[in-house]
Amino acid sequence: MEKKLMSGNEAIAYGAYLGRVRVAAAYPGTPSPEILENLVTYPGVYAEWAPNEKVAVDVAAGAAYAGRRALAAMKHVGLNVAADSLFYTSYTGMQAGLVIITCDDPAMHSSQNEQDNRHYARFAKVPMLEPSYSEEAKQFTKLAFDISEAFDTPVLVRSTTRISHSESIVQMEEPPSPTWEELPPYKRDPVKYVMVPANARRRHPIIEERLGKLAAYFEGLDINRIEMGDPALGIVTSGVSYQHAREVFPEASFLKLGTVWPLPVNKIREFASRVKRVVVIEELDPFLEEQLRLIGVECTGKKIFPILGEFNSGLVRDCARRGGLIAGEAAQEAAATAPSPPLAAELPPRPPMLCPGCAHRGMFYVLQHYKAVVLGDIGCYTLGAAPPLLALHTCGCMGASIGVAHGVDKAGCKDRKVAVIGDSTFFHAGIPPLIDVVYNKGATTVIVLDNRITAMTGHQDHPGSGRTLAKEPTVDIKIEDVARAVGFQKVDVVDPLDFKATRAIVKEHLESNEPSLIVARHPCVLYAREFKKPYQIDPEKCNDCGICRRIGCAPLIRADGKMAIDQLLCIGCGFCAQICGRKAITQVA
Amino acid sequence: MSVLNIVIAGVGGQGNVMACQIIGMAAVEEGWQVSAADTFGVSQRGGAVMSHLRLARGRPYGPLIPAGEAHLVLGLEPLETVRVLRRYGNQQTRVMVNTRPNYPLAVLCGAAVYPDLNVLREAIGAHSAVMVEVPADRLAAEAGNLVTQNVVMTGALAGSGWLPLRLATFERVLASLFKGAVLESNLRAFRLGVAALAPEATAVAGV
Repeated sequence: MEKKLMSGNEAIAYGAYLGRVRVAAAYPGTPSPEILENLVTYPGVYAEWAPNEKVAVDVAAGAAYAGRRALAAMKHVGLNVAADSLFYTSYTGMQAGLVIITCDDPAMHSSQNEQDNRHYARFAKVPMLEPSYSEEAKQFTKLAFDISEAFDTPVLVRSTTRISHSESIVQMEEPPSPTWEELPPYKRDPVKYVMVPANARRRHPIIEERLGKLAAYFEGLDINRIEMGDPALGIVTSGVSYQHAREVFPEASFLKLGTVWPLPVNKIREFASRVKRVVVIEELDPFLEEQLRLIGVECTGKKIFPILGEFNSGLVRDCARRGGLIAGEAAQEAAATAPSPPLAAELPPRPPMLCPGCAHRGMFYVLQHYKAVVLGDIGCYTLGAAPPLLALHTCGCMGASIGVAHGVDKAGCKDRKVAVIGDSTFFHAGIPPLIDVVYNKGATTVIVLDNRITAMTGHQDHPGSGRTLAKEPTVDIKIEDVARAVGFQKVDVVDPLDFKATRAIVKEHLESNEPSLIVARHPCVLYAREFKKPYQIDPEKCNDCGICRRIGCAPLIRADGKMAIDQLLCIGCGFCAQICGRKAITQVA
Repeated sequence: MSVLNIVIAGVGGQGNVMACQIIGMAAVEEGWQVSAADTFGVSQRGGAVMSHLRLARGRPYGPLIPAGEAHLVLGLEPLETVRVLRRYGNQQTRVMVNTRPNYPLAVLCGAAVYPDLNVLREAIGAHSAVMVEVPADRLAAEAGNLVTQNVVMTGALAGSGWLPLRLATFERVLASLFKGAVLESNLRAFRLGVAALAPEATAVAGV
């Protein structure tokens, strides 16, 4: 069979397909969305976007209860949302394999924290597999279904950004049959599946026993592999760290762990007995290191390698040199501190920014105008926090904005304030706090920035976009209808690129003393691709007042000491023309 | 050389990931061990992005290139080319750079100044052995679509002779990735890139 270059996410999807997964659900969170986007393309697989990760795990659990192999995928913080469901599935087990993929994000390329989800495996008492590259991502995901069924447990597969979004070669295999086997009648087994205290008490010892059996099985499993080299140094590692460490220590002995929970304790002890010194190389928390210490294996880990951020081979080499594991000067560090040839100019940083023509800009410009405190949320619009808009003042997790705004209100804060949340985030976790505002007689104004798609993660559909993951047309749930249904009486819809209308509606809502909601609706420009004729600045009329620079739109540049519009970048949204007091900005004819 | 380290640098939206994928797929087809790492997510919104691509014979390498160890840098934007060179470049690094600037937010709001192109050229020179400039915006416009600047640059790199890969392989990869009119404009962009570089490539081939 041929070989193919695949990202870790593509390989996870391919492995799940080879493992005959039938039902898959996910909420798209970076670095995980491509798993379901790939899985939906395989024959014999049903895959859907769920409104959030908890729903995704419940859907997968239901399918597995009914006897179909099922998968849920999410980013690391998504597992916080789905934790309740992870824990009950650990207790109930299932009728068919259930695999949950967690994609961690060391270095926070696109996340609010760098939590280490290996702790969840220990916490929920379920096994966790951790691949090191795409071929293993395929193999381990496939294997996870067999483990799940053999031990009646959900199985976690942990990826990280550098596994999910790195590409390496994968061996193609014979495709499985796409035909769905006939299901037996639903198995009713309340003692196993109804987790009331009396039943859960019966299940708990079974879970403890299961961990012991898994540990024994993992002892003999070949994905926990001793690679003997020079016995002077024995490295215990897993995941992407294995690749970095292999590059830096080509001669050393390795214990490469494919299962990070439960650990193959005897294999670890055996490895330790065969080498002079044990060093643990793992990103983020000292998870393996602490477990090694608990079983009495002396080792070094976080004394040499950092707890923060992600590794690369250069960093591992530098740490190893500083820690005396290999000879030589820490080159990267030397390079970083050595006087690099001086630059004749500063290099301006380049953080991400709202796209040219992005409609979020219109709402943030108005909120800045009213000096409102903006309790924010997670999505592209979080970029409104950056200069020059500076119009977003908190961002914690999905759906936090509305509850936080209600709390600020109930605390008696007299500032003008609003909650700002995106459309996909609203469906994810925005509805319960919306109910809280009404139920508890709050007066919060909620602004839903509805760009009709899950934009930041790469334009995935959601319950308000009118299409499913498979791109089939479906109901288009209107946010204003949801707000009215839960009891909001003051609800308006506005196009945030209509400056005057937006300013008037925001003012009215800020002044009202009742719960209110504005849907600021304009499709994501990158997705809708409605490119109109660009705008231009008449240098005769422009008095260089600088107002247009306050919206931070990329085409508005300085050229020859004057404001100008880059005709290649401008998509013709016309917002800058509306705020120009001199009427100096006009559309190219 | 046991591994060839290529860094592709640019701005979110310029097609870094696609350029990386095209070269990576061509390398796989020619039997190389390939590992690549891309920037996704929040960074793609006009932020600095970078792809690492490593071609090896024998065992595969990890996805990330250590500081100071880039053999080739494909720069889709001049400022970003300097930024990655200061971290990944060395006196042997070869650089191919698109000369069209793209201004970061701080420059747009007047809080910072975009360095003069000659200053950037000098900085590239200080961290490399060879620099070749490509007017990718002009060539992409000639190909009929400005968004193909990344493919122009990929063509230029393919035509430079710096990669151990055949031009025909690249064209096969493009044909597997695109269809119809999109394929046509990408092929035009790729060939214009190749043609732009061919004479200079012969000149530096002896370096």
